[in-house]
Amino acid sequence: MPRKTLRHVLLALMCCASPLAVAAAPSGELRVAIGIDPDTLDPLTNALPIGNAISLLVYNGLYKLGATNNIEPDLATGYSYSADGMVLTVTMVTGRHFANGDPLNAEAVAASFNRLLDPTTGSIYAGLYASLGTAVAVAEDTVEFRLKEANGHALMLLANTAAVIVNVGAAKEMGAEYGRHPVGSGPYMVEDYVGGERISLVPSPSYDGPAPATLERITFIAAPEDGSRMALLETGDVDIAERVPPEAIPTIQALDDAEVRLLPSMFSISMELVLRGPLTDARVRQALNISVDREGITTGVLGGLATPSVGMVGPGTQDDLRRTFDPLPYDPERAKALLAEAGYGPGQLALTMTCPTGRYIKDVQACQALQGLWQAIGINVNANIVDRGTWSGVINTVPDERKDNMGMVGRATAGIDYTLYRLFYTGVGANRTGFSNARVDELLRLGRTTSDPARQKEIYGEVQEIVWTEQPFVFLWYQKQAIGVGDDVKGLEVRPDETMILGTVTVER
Amino acid sequence: MFVVRRLIAAVPVLVIVSVLVFWFVDLIPGDPAQMLAGTMATDAEVAAIREFLGLDRPLGTRYVMFLRGLVDPDLAKSFRTGRPVALEIAERMPTTVVIAVGGLLVGLIVGALSGVACALRQGTLTDTVITVLTLAGISMPIYWLGLLCIWLFAVHLGWLPAAGASTPAHFVLPILAVATRPAATFSRLVTANLLEVMGKDYLDTARSKGLSEMRVILVHALRNSLIAAVSVAGVQFGAMLGGSVINETVFGVPGIGRLLVQAVGSSDYPIIQYCILMFAVFFVVINLATDLLTMWLDPRTRQPVTR
Repeated sequence: MPRKTLRHVLLALMCCASPLAVAAAPSGELRVAIGIDPDTLDPLTNALPIGNAISLLVYNGLYKLGATNNIEPDLATGYSYSADGMVLTVTMVTGRHFANGDPLNAEAVAASFNRLLDPTTGSIYAGLYASLGTAVAVAEDTVEFRLKEANGHALMLLANTAAVIVNVGAAKEMGAEYGRHPVGSGPYMVEDYVGGERISLVPSPSYDGPAPATLERITFIAAPEDGSRMALLETGDVDIAERVPPEAIPTIQALDDAEVRLLPSMFSISMELVLRGPLTDARVRQALNISVDREGITTGVLGGLATPSVGMVGPGTQDDLRRTFDPLPYDPERAKALLAEAGYGPGQLALTMTCPTGRYIKDVQACQALQGLWQAIGINVNANIVDRGTWSGVINTVPDERKDNMGMVGRATAGIDYTLYRLFYTGVGANRTGFSNARVDELLRLGRTTSDPARQKEIYGEVQEIVWTEQPFVFLWYQKQAIGVGDDVKGLEVRPDETMILGTVTVER
Repeated sequence: MFVVRRLIAAVPVLVIVSVLVFWFVDLIPGDPAQMLAGTMATDAEVAAIREFLGLDRPLGTRYVMFLRGLVDPDLAKSFRTGRPVALEIAERMPTTVVIAVGGLLVGLIVGALSGVACALRQGTLTDTVITVLTLAGISMPIYWLGLLCIWLFAVHLGWLPAAGASTPAHFVLPILAVATRPAATFSRLVTANLLEVMGKDYLDTARSKGLSEMRVILVHALRNSLIAAVSVAGVQFGAMLGGSVINETVFGVPGIGRLLVQAVGSSDYPIIQYCILMFAVFFVVINLATDLLTMWLDPRTRQPVTR
């Protein structure tokens, strides 16, 4: 073989060995109809699943959450805790760049974290991440988190989309406009942001990572009205429509070129009880729990868009630590007997529940059904159905000042420590039921400082069992996600926290 | 002089509106800091956000800040985006104005033509059909009408896009939906006015000069009807701005109405307060413009009042 030809063959083989060379060129446009468009793409203040979906495309993190909310490394190559558990060291890949060409190194990572932890930036996550203390770059590829308190769940915090790596220099220079044109190191960058109408992403020419863009463009189209959003899918103007309402499911399923995908969601809906007066009696709480026909409501009222609860935390909340239990029975006769045993004959117990309007799937109708079921066992229930602002005010009121007895709330957070600690540790955070249990407090303190997964499983398993037994909530159901997807969309995955993973999606028209 | 007097009279109106808007918005249930922080936040986290947003300051101080924001737009920033409210409004305003003006023009033209047809064809099938359509147009809620338009023109016929605002075609359905009620109102108004003046002497005079019937109606009779229509147009334009809240949500149009809906959903006080104040300014300006137009159309209204 001539020398020149041999050189060409070798060059061709080298090219083929490069991951960038084998990746197919991005092609096609994906159009997604969304119900609520994010006000900002700055992770400091974004709290919407669709904002998370865009963050996954535009930014990188040290870690990220996979399709089942499992923790996966992104830029990180390894981690270790110091002997006293107060320093978390994370090593990362080097040689990567932000979309504006700035280097993405440990210094940039530390700057991004310190911005997230700084309450003067308006970060809504500063409190949540406070335990991470301070981030310090100790080498080009090594970041140290000098923790404020031992935290065995730091990787979960790092994997959350709030913790993606922001180009702090660009953010300072751009001010609030950074929220519209963020500079990350992900495979896509924002091409166009028209508030209230659309956000378009295109491949980032600076991307030098292992998962380049698969699409020429991704356009998110805001269509807040359910009917308009479904019409966009029916007419083929979009390939994906989020939040298919129950009444539209048959229409979308009947289309030749689209379907509705019913996917698990970690949204765990409960009626959270204010533990005072009659609700301090475990028999009353049990009566409320066993008089709910969960199968009937999830099928008849929620149109199949929910599944009865079998534990407080929903699916996808760190499934390796999550525990499930036998479904609660529907036994109104036993409920009446329990009420009588507690001293409440028919009509002698009056309770008020607070329900939101349009916050959860068919929340108003579900509350009316619950009201009927509880009245059937002799409880006079006043359903206080209110707008979202009023509801938010009521359910965030401290238990001693609440005028109602229970409120419908959905909880959906990826971390099991975060969920259980904030809801059930005495006097802390979102514990608005007034629940207090010394053993639970002890276990939650222990769980927070434990990094051994097997030990964590034991600790959090026991906490969940106590909560399930004590019943500070009327456990209701886990919502399902209903997403309309065109047949031309391949590779779509959706996390249980309702974040679409679009990085590997292709469109085959 | 009339204009100056009206503008001076508008100042106390706007001051009262600004106080009411500021106070009432502050009374809206739901703490913006809590809404931002989420339901799992601790009291300390909510307090930190409240301080960052300046909500920990007394109401009077915040009102002064609100007024200063009218002079220095950099002081008035959205709670959600951190961007100046003036910028947020300026980006959305053209879309809302295009739809409102487009809707008003379409409504005026269709209303005037159908009103004339109705007046000239009294008691015929044309009159009956137009009367039924105008009654339907006045009665139909814009929300339902919008969805009906989407079903017919986007889903069933496939002629127009269902939602968005990126091409001129996207504006057709929102304008059509918003024009329906003014068209119906103008139609009824023009019909009633034309029927009232048709037998008047000045029209007979015009006919006796040899003018065609069409010219008599369009130039002489319709002009009188327009005086009343102008007053109604002012009210309709204001109603359309208010109606943009629903129209823009149904059609996914990024205008002021949609901005306001988003702001209410997230308790973004500055956006709500400045948007409502701006609507109030619009109403004052539109009323003034309506009065001036009426004076121009009807010379009798220019005469000073004598006792």
